[in-house]
Amino acid sequence: MHISDGILKPEWVFFWFAITVIFVGLGIRMINKRIKEDPVYLPRISLLGAVVFVISVWHIPVPVTGSSSHPVGTPMASIIIGPFATVVITAIALFFQSFVAHGGLTTIGANTFSMGIVGAFGGYFTYRLLKKVSPLWFSAGMAGLVGSILTYITTALQLALSLNPDNVIYYWKLYSMGFIPTQLPLAFAEFAFTAYVIRYIYETGSMDKINTSCPLDRFTKTALMLMFSIISIIAIGAYIGYLDGANMAGTDGTVEAQAAPLASHEGIGIRLMALLGEPLGFAMVGITGGLFTGYFLSDLRRRN
Amino acid sequence: MPGWLSGDPLNGAIITITFFISVIIGKYIRMKRTSSGSPRKFIDQRINLFILFFLIISITLMGHWYVPMGIAVLCVLISTRANKFGDYSRKLIFPVVLSLFIIMIQSLTYGSTRIDLGIISVYKEGFEYGFLIFSRVFAATSLIILMLSTTSETEILDTMRWYRIPEVLIDISSLMIRYIKAFSSESRRMKQAQESRCGFSRSCGSREKMHNIASISGALIARAFARAEHVYRAMISRGWKHDFGSIARYRPLNKSDVLVGFVLSAGIIVMLGIDRAL
Repeated sequence: MHISDGILKPEWVFFWFAITVIFVGLGIRMINKRIKEDPVYLPRISLLGAVVFVISVWHIPVPVTGSSSHPVGTPMASIIIGPFATVVITAIALFFQSFVAHGGLTTIGANTFSMGIVGAFGGYFTYRLLKKVSPLWFSAGMAGLVGSILTYITTALQLALSLNPDNVIYYWKLYSMGFIPTQLPLAFAEFAFTAYVIRYIYETGSMDKINTSCPLDRFTKTALMLMFSIISIIAIGAYIGYLDGANMAGTDGTVEAQAAPLASHEGIGIRLMALLGEPLGFAMVGITGGLFTGYFLSDLRRRN
Repeated sequence: MPGWLSGDPLNGAIITITFFISVIIGKYIRMKRTSSGSPRKFIDQRINLFILFFLIISITLMGHWYVPMGIAVLCVLISTRANKFGDYSRKLIFPVVLSLFIIMIQSLTYGSTRIDLGIISVYKEGFEYGFLIFSRVFAATSLIILMLSTTSETEILDTMRWYRIPEVLIDISSLMIRYIKAFSSESRRMKQAQESRCGFSRSCGSREKMHNIASISGALIARAFARAEHVYRAMISRGWKHDFGSIARYRPLNKSDVLVGFVLSAGIIVMLGIDRAL
């Protein structure tokens, strides 16, 4: 899954770096907080980092994609030390793996995003969702399976976005299909491996040393859950639409005809969007709206 | 009078200036190498890492395969001269093979101008784009392998500290380096022990083998947790502190190092300019 240097375009290199830096920053903050309470946490997460390094350095080439398949290990790590700390140790493991020409220096951001963020968070949320309704081994195993598959779907998307921006969906499908022969058996192996390991750790009593409680407050947790849920709904809806032949045409026409038929085509929003480009324009809208909502929501909650 | 002088003085001037500047830089590099006694100390590690990152980013910006391939060929020559070709080629083979697949898939799927090769037909644009990616991967990976093969992990961690990377990342990295080695030898020992108890014999089914591998891994992690605490206590007792590393201890960059960094950065920008002009 590791993407080598020279494959991604610089704008995508910086884009994935920017996202990863935010998560790594949050991870460092949480690790520092934990170390103050329990100094042994530092060697413990370093150890898990070594585990992720060893597990993910073993790889099989994938012909179609120009990438590789390997177990990821991050879902297991996220169950043991939490997803944010896993992002940090994954970034470090990937940095050291670039020394052996597995991955690259400029692609650490992209590789951390797929393996450390999507893989770890996907696995962790799966584990949390299934933990209450299924045995521990099954929820842990499913975390391994889902985390592994999500990692490869994300890598395929990263490759398609950078290499073939004109036809992203087609190449995303093509690259995802390329991973299937090698990655699907590995994902099932990861299911068994994660299930056995977590059960073993639990049975030997080592799970007492592991704090799996989420260090986030309720507000942040709700916001993150909402974000992941809405993104999942959008992704599923877009994929269903694509299968029906909608060709990802967007909803501009519907919005213009139904929601805002009288909107001016010379308005500031349209002009800003034209100036910044749609992705950056929507990002600005999201940031501004989010900051206002977050600020006033906190204020309202405080008053209540 | 030579034609280049009478007809095109600009080219002549450029050749003359670049030649003599290169002569001076070459002499300076030679002197620096001789005085340091070790070729790898010629560039300060901090400059080295910056240049490496800058060069790789520049390679990804290049629109033609000529310059990246030139860099890759140069790396091959350097590795041969430095007797590192075996290690270099072993590490290089995986990314190069993967990028060959990129040429293949792009040639078969991307573009509009078909070239008939008899059994199959490929797209010209796809092949060119794939070859460009191949040359970038080849060059970037060659650079990383060569430059990092002359740098120890400790030096890299020191460099990271100088670049104001958060202390906790450095601490985790330094502990991870130790654990990776300990983890590998411990897992090998445990696997041998399991093998001696017929844990991986041919009569075992795949389910049983998977169970054995997972037991070893689980035991390894559980055991390593306990050991991590012991190691940490030992480190504390020897005076180690979590936020021990202080930036103030690092020697400042000297002028010659900055100059080398500046010259190399300028060279990279020139290379990028050449690529754009082609």
